[in-house]
Amino acid sequence: MNCEYCQELISVYLDNELDVQVASDVRMHLAACAACAKVCEDFAMILDFCDLDETEHSLPPNSKALWCRINNLIETEVASEIPRDIKEEKPKRGWQFSFGQVFASILGIALVSSLLTVVGVKNYSASDVSATNTPSIFDRALSKIGLVETPQLARENRVREQQAAIEYWNKRVEAKRANWNNYLREAFDRNLSEINQVVFEYDRILEENPQDDLSNEMLDSALNEKMALLREFSEL
Amino acid sequence: MIWDLKKYTAFRKTTILLFSVVFFFASAAATMELSAQKKFSKIYPASKNVRLQLTNRSGTVTVEGWDRDEINISAYLEAPAANIVPQSLSGTIYLNIVKDNQGKKEVGNVNFLIKVPYHASVDIETMMGNLNVSNVRGGLVRAHISTEGDITLTNIAAGAVSAENVIGDIFYDGTIETEGNYRFTSTRGNINLRIPFNSSFKMVATAPSTRNISLGDFGNSSMKFLSDGRRVVGQAGDGSAAISVTNQRGSISFIRR
Repeated sequence: MNCEYCQELISVYLDNELDVQVASDVRMHLAACAACAKVCEDFAMILDFCDLDETEHSLPPNSKALWCRINNLIETEVASEIPRDIKEEKPKRGWQFSFGQVFASILGIALVSSLLTVVGVKNYSASDVSATNTPSIFDRALSKIGLVETPQLARENRVREQQAAIEYWNKRVEAKRANWNNYLREAFDRNLSEINQVVFEYDRILEENPQDDLSNEMLDSALNEKMALLREFSEL
Repeated sequence: MIWDLKKYTAFRKTTILLFSVVFFFASAAATMELSAQKKFSKIYPASKNVRLQLTNRSGTVTVEGWDRDEINISAYLEAPAANIVPQSLSGTIYLNIVKDNQGKKEVGNVNFLIKVPYHASVDIETMMGNLNVSNVRGGLVRAHISTEGDITLTNIAAGAVSAENVIGDIFYDGTIETEGNYRFTSTRGNINLRIPFNSSFKMVATAPSTRNISLGDFGNSSMKFLSDGRRVVGQAGDGSAAISVTNQRGSISFIRR
């Protein structure tokens, strides 16, 4: 007799309802198997407990522990019934999420999509930047993480690009100016100096007040003018 | 007395001789100067939508409208004389003195006097020198000076007008056409616009350094001074045309025509 079969019969055995031969087999197995003996002992205790008339008034000294043991016992039995190959299978990965996970996902998607919408709207309306002088806290926060270009950042980038172009044309002019006559050279220097003064003035104003849109616009215009002047003279 | 007469005669002869010598050298100098300034002339027949596109290096350019269907180009070339190679392509007359003389160390001023039909479009630019355009009623009048020089546009009736220089005055005397576009830009100089009182336009005038923007008779309740008086934005009439005036370090004046 194996354990499984024995444990199936324990309950009937305790009720004295088994055939003599089978009961003898069970008894022999219980004598040899400590685990099944223990199960039997537990069953017996349960039966004794159920036989008492005043169960509600006379709970076992540690009922909690008892139920825990029963539970463990059942689990052991169930586990032993599961075939080995199934037992060794890895748990399947399914699309099962807890409520918390689902809620967090929805919240995350909503947050990202609102952020992208705001960024899109901001970028689409970038041409109307002149209408807004001061960037909002939200704008600044977005610019910190690199999602939105503030007017100041945009200006700095534009000025950097213009300065690079100016340097390029300036080198070409320097290479050519030796061929000019004095009259042309003086006129060029005079006009370049005039534009440089304008650039200097707006640089100064913008250092004090970077949000001055008009000065930004004028600086942009002056730098473009300087670029055009250098380009034209480099072609002489 | 006889001695005095002889002395007087000798003095008179010496004086005449001296004047003769001076006159001779003066005439020779004048002839040399005249021969140093060459003249270039060419006439092109003009189609209905003719356009003149001129790029000068230095010198004065004067373009005048006339009632003939031809373009008459006269150029006075100072020494060392520049090359001029005009081209006529698809109704446009091209003159590019910069390109035609690229790499030349010395190029003298070229002073143009060009007559165009009234309805011609005029697009002229120079690196240095004055630009004058008058009596033109074509689609476009553009005058651009890379450095210094005055721009004078008189009796103009064009839908698109643009004038730009660095140092120098800009004067515009003309109409503001419905849905026209007018742009005047200078870095240092005075910009004066003389336009009809009943003109309709939207305007942005900016004089950030001087804040000297005079609207004259065009000042109305819709004209707003912005950015501490550095810019004026407003409208006259139904605002169909657009005027943009920017003078970085000079004044802007609107004058009633």
